[in-house]
Amino acid sequence: MTATRDTPPACALPGTLPPLADALPGIMTCVHCGFCLQACPTYLALGDENDSPRGRILLMRAVAEGELPVDDPDVRRHLDRCLGCRGCETACPSGVPYGQILESARATLNQRQPPPRIARLVLAVFATHHPLAATLWAARVMRGSRLAALLARLPGRVGFSFAMLAASAPAMPARPYATRGRGTRGTVAALRGCVMEGLFAHVNRATERTLEENDYHVTPAPGQRCCGALHAHAGDLVGARALARANIAAFERAGVDYIAVNASGCGLMMKEYGHLLRNDPAWAARATAIAQRTRDASELLAAAGPVAGAPMALRVVYDAPCHLVHGQRLHHEPLAVLAAVPDLVTTTLPNADQCCGSAGIYNLLQPELAQRVLAPKLDEIAQDGAPLVATGNPGCMMQIGAGLRRGHIAARTVHPVELLDASYARHAHGVPAPRR
Amino acid sequence: MSATANVAHARTTADVVAAVANAVARHSPVRIVGRGHWLDAGRPTRDASALLLDELSGVVAYTPGDLTLTARAGTTLADIAAVTADHAQWLALDPFGPLDGTLGATIATASAGPLAHAFGTPRDAALGIEAVTGDAAIIRAGGRVVKNVAGFDLTRLFTGAWGTLGVITEITVRLRARPQVDETWSIPVPANNGALEALCAALRAAPIAPLALELIDARLAAALSLGDHDVMLIRLGGSEESVRAQRDAIRTVGAAADAPAGVWDALRTSDPPGSAVVRFSDLPSRVADTWRAAREITSLAGGARQHASVGRGIVRVIAPPNDDAAVTALVHAAARAATAIPERLPGTCWSALTTPMPNAELARRVKRAFDPANLLNPGILGIEP
Amino acid sequence: MTRDELAIALRAIVGPRGVLSRPAELLPFSADGLPTYHRPPKLAVFPSTREQVIDVIRLFAREQWPFVPRGAGTGLSAGALAGGDAVIVGLNRLTRILSLDPVNRLAVVEPGAVNVSLTRAAGAFGLYYAPDPSSQSACTIGGNVAENSGGPHCLKYGVTVNHVVAVTVLLPDGEVVSLGGAHGETPGYDLLGAFVGSEGCFGIALDVTVRLSPNPPAVRTMLADFTSIDAGARATSAIIASGILPAALEMMDGPTIRAVEASIYAAGYPADAEAVLLIELDGLEAGLDADARRVEQLCLDAGARTVRTARDERERARLWQGRKKAFGAMGRVAPALVVQDAVIPRTRLPDVLRTIHDIAQRWRIQVCNVFHAGDGNLHPNIGYDPRDSDATDRVHHAMREIMRACVDAGGTITGEHGIGLDKLEYMPLIFSPASLDAQCRLRAVFDPDRRANPDKVVPQHACREWTQAPAARAAATVPA
Repeated sequence: MTATRDTPPACALPGTLPPLADALPGIMTCVHCGFCLQACPTYLALGDENDSPRGRILLMRAVAEGELPVDDPDVRRHLDRCLGCRGCETACPSGVPYGQILESARATLNQRQPPPRIARLVLAVFATHHPLAATLWAARVMRGSRLAALLARLPGRVGFSFAMLAASAPAMPARPYATRGRGTRGTVAALRGCVMEGLFAHVNRATERTLEENDYHVTPAPGQRCCGALHAHAGDLVGARALARANIAAFERAGVDYIAVNASGCGLMMKEYGHLLRNDPAWAARATAIAQRTRDASELLAAAGPVAGAPMALRVVYDAPCHLVHGQRLHHEPLAVLAAVPDLVTTTLPNADQCCGSAGIYNLLQPELAQRVLAPKLDEIAQDGAPLVATGNPGCMMQIGAGLRRGHIAARTVHPVELLDASYARHAHGVPAPRR
Repeated sequence: MSATANVAHARTTADVVAAVANAVARHSPVRIVGRGHWLDAGRPTRDASALLLDELSGVVAYTPGDLTLTARAGTTLADIAAVTADHAQWLALDPFGPLDGTLGATIATASAGPLAHAFGTPRDAALGIEAVTGDAAIIRAGGRVVKNVAGFDLTRLFTGAWGTLGVITEITVRLRARPQVDETWSIPVPANNGALEALCAALRAAPIAPLALELIDARLAAALSLGDHDVMLIRLGGSEESVRAQRDAIRTVGAAADAPAGVWDALRTSDPPGSAVVRFSDLPSRVADTWRAAREITSLAGGARQHASVGRGIVRVIAPPNDDAAVTALVHAAARAATAIPERLPGTCWSALTTPMPNAELARRVKRAFDPANLLNPGILGIEP
Repeated sequence: MTRDELAIALRAIVGPRGVLSRPAELLPFSADGLPTYHRPPKLAVFPSTREQVIDVIRLFAREQWPFVPRGAGTGLSAGALAGGDAVIVGLNRLTRILSLDPVNRLAVVEPGAVNVSLTRAAGAFGLYYAPDPSSQSACTIGGNVAENSGGPHCLKYGVTVNHVVAVTVLLPDGEVVSLGGAHGETPGYDLLGAFVGSEGCFGIALDVTVRLSPNPPAVRTMLADFTSIDAGARATSAIIASGILPAALEMMDGPTIRAVEASIYAAGYPADAEAVLLIELDGLEAGLDADARRVEQLCLDAGARTVRTARDERERARLWQGRKKAFGAMGRVAPALVVQDAVIPRTRLPDVLRTIHDIAQRWRIQVCNVFHAGDGNLHPNIGYDPRDSDATDRVHHAMREIMRACVDAGGTITGEHGIGLDKLEYMPLIFSPASLDAQCRLRAVFDPDRRANPDKVVPQHACREWTQAPAARAAATVPA
């Protein structure tokens, strides 16, 4: 592996640690207008501007300019509470790159004071192949034994974790079918992901089938790893860069037109590989090239139509994953995927663009706040009454799914491509698709 | 000293300052007078020397393109109407009383007429004032532009203060473009139960944007030659096309008849001299109830009348002079009502109104702040320092 | 009582999460939407209930402690800053809509309710809350009442004071009074009118009763583009003089257009235009198209290149989005921004805009004009780098000249942002000493001790009562 190149850029201010100083120009684009406040889930939950984007930017600026020490406990606490949902970026008229500033700040703070042990443990597991595979295998066994469902009733953080595991089980049985695509829309390698392949393999298969059904040629990309999003969000930029380099190499070898990602958090990370490795001369250009070929699965499907499947008279309510709607700015594509299922009645949650509180490992680190952020989401789902909640990110599927389970709300989470896949399966098994 | 014994005529703001300074020096109260039409309005004031402002008149500034006009307080509404009509504009204030009432009195008493339905009250029209306070200081508040949040809003405070905080000497008002078409329709209101509510609901739902919506009782209707039953007067304004569509909409609501163009001026000047007048108000949704409660008073006397600004929920009751039964009922009703504003009552009747003014202590503090010696229109609002 | 003792007493009222006292956590409250001013408060307290607000203010009254009410901190006059010993009282946790009466079109809201949340709640009944400051997605009704906020649609529908019918006010001495009333006319002085726009100096609004308006049945949103500011200004004057009263008539100049188009809120304004007018007509369907044709002709006569009308709600929203986010979009132009606010008579638009242009050239600064042209309410915004002291000086000189030009044209120094700290120095430009003193006297009626948002709105030296202690101060303290 190449040596890390985290040397301070030339413009770093004296006395400031490098990553945050690098983010200072971004910080300076904030005009303090406050439009971000109502877009911030933690501000809405806590009513404290320290827990808002504008407040956090001021705190980060104070650290960057040496006004506050890097190890100021208040700065740490309020940055730790940030979900990284990037809802503020959508609300920001000045284009403040909040997510990138936050990652820089966390990296800077981590240099002085490491993140909590549980976070380090999780990140270490995700950064190494075999322990991760073993962990996910154990989780699957647990889920399959129905022990998870039982333990999900435990109170507190432990019970919620098992409820999340239970919520990762398929909501609808997959029925494989022979795809009939012509492969004319280009070659695609899918990011298998870690949690996705470990707990949501059914979604990965559905993604491959629906892409093929829409004329993409899907090929494997061996050697790929965890995308590094969890590490980057937690400020472990060194770890994130190492994983990114591995993935860039793997997808270069696959030689595909597109990289399809069905987990929006991972997709956003890969789309930002260029930024992540911008100071690494050997990798910057390669990272940008891979980032430019990365697509959310819904983008590829929407670009192809997608072709309609067989009718399914079902109700589903859509909730937008933050890293899809705010990070990747994709609003219509997942809805286009759902619209390709005839007779499917799709509604959108009133505050679909608000975070569910999942946010990577946030619900492990800030369990209480994660629950407070989740609560209004669950209320809206109960109000809607649809039996299915579609959202295109595994963390959100598990967080919302666990909340539904523990809140005794009769709804399950699904990935949009699962519904499209089921519709195609019905068609393949004999129910005709209506002509468009 | 009586009001007639000592009269000062002010032609300039400096005259007003001199008069107030003189009053301060002699501890002698001042009764501010425009054209003297409304001297019987408000509570009786203590004996005071009159300060006449009718010659403090004339338009100071009028740039039609700005839709603002600055005039001295004694300028009459009729004069302003004449000046602005040349540019197809108007000051959309039509207070009840003679048409040559002054701008100063209109602003000082915040008197509004039927057009308030669409254009608001004097508080919405006044953009700035010059005034002389009770310690003879000239102050200016607001400005000559249509939007202004510089400093605390003394313009609103002085508007409707009945001269008790200062003598208003100059006012800037917001003008409006006169509608191309301006016409009035009357719809008879059937006497049966619920008819008024039904008509109000229908008008509310209709695609119309009336300039005024005034309910007139049968006696007043007769006096205005509108027939012999309650009628709803609907004033429509706007472009030819817009008014045509609204006219069609009104015709689906009831049997609309064309009302004479002069009906609004006739209504404004219809109070018999010396009448007792009280306004009752409640939520607009309860205007029919307020109307019926007022009817209990007007039914007592042959000459009593009532009319209502339907959209604002205000019913105005006029009891004729020398009709003791009606006046007594009116005073009793005013004393009981949650929101009654007496405009004019016989001087002896005011003591029957014992409901304390809301925020009396704050009001006293305001009075003390601007007229500490209680020299300006003392007693007219019932606020003693 | 020391500051630390006060913090303990406040925590006893609002709980530990309701008081901030450490310097780092107070940092976000050292500025509002105008970050050129910084004043770190000594403490910040965040009541969650009306009762807590009352208890907090009564504690301050007992201790004679100064305080500054704060909503969302989106104000643009540095009005929500607490200097000296003053404590920030954050009202942003009182966000409920207490009642909504669709028949009488009234709503009662807590002060921290966000402006747009009211329109969302009223939408179900075909109603909306008309005052629409550009910050409406974040600013609070309490803050709107304090500033008497305007917004693009105030041209036709009026500013906050025209839409507030009652306020329950907590006076600085802890007394609760009801000003105005929803149930009809209120006798006596217009204390409600005096309270609205008092910038937090007269007390705290515990609840606000506002008038809602029915959604207009029909809307036409038009965009006219011009190759000179002058032509845009002439078109504005012509439209106003024509008697057509648009719901909104907004102007943006070339630099603003280009900043917007470079932001994520690109609205499709022609990037080579030197001015665009965003004109919205609304009302009854009948006659609206005829008005739109007249407006179009007036624009073309004034030199518009093109005039186009939004075809659907989506296009309308896009055109508006660019305008509403223009101020933020300038953040990408320069690291700091002076946002100005002045009003001039509408016939003076062309020459005052020319004067502003000349001033900008003379001081070598970049002015972005984005404003409510229909009201004559200018917002010349100047981007600069605060680390460059020469540039900062030039910006401040230019600002003063622009203000004076607006006053000389018969205008005023603020149309909707308020005086706060930022405009204090300009108050003597438009008010005589006696007029300023009269404002001090009114303040003393509500807050004789001058503890509510002290040092704002009226320069303290203007208050004779403070230096000479005559009538007003006596008036405020003499028992009834």
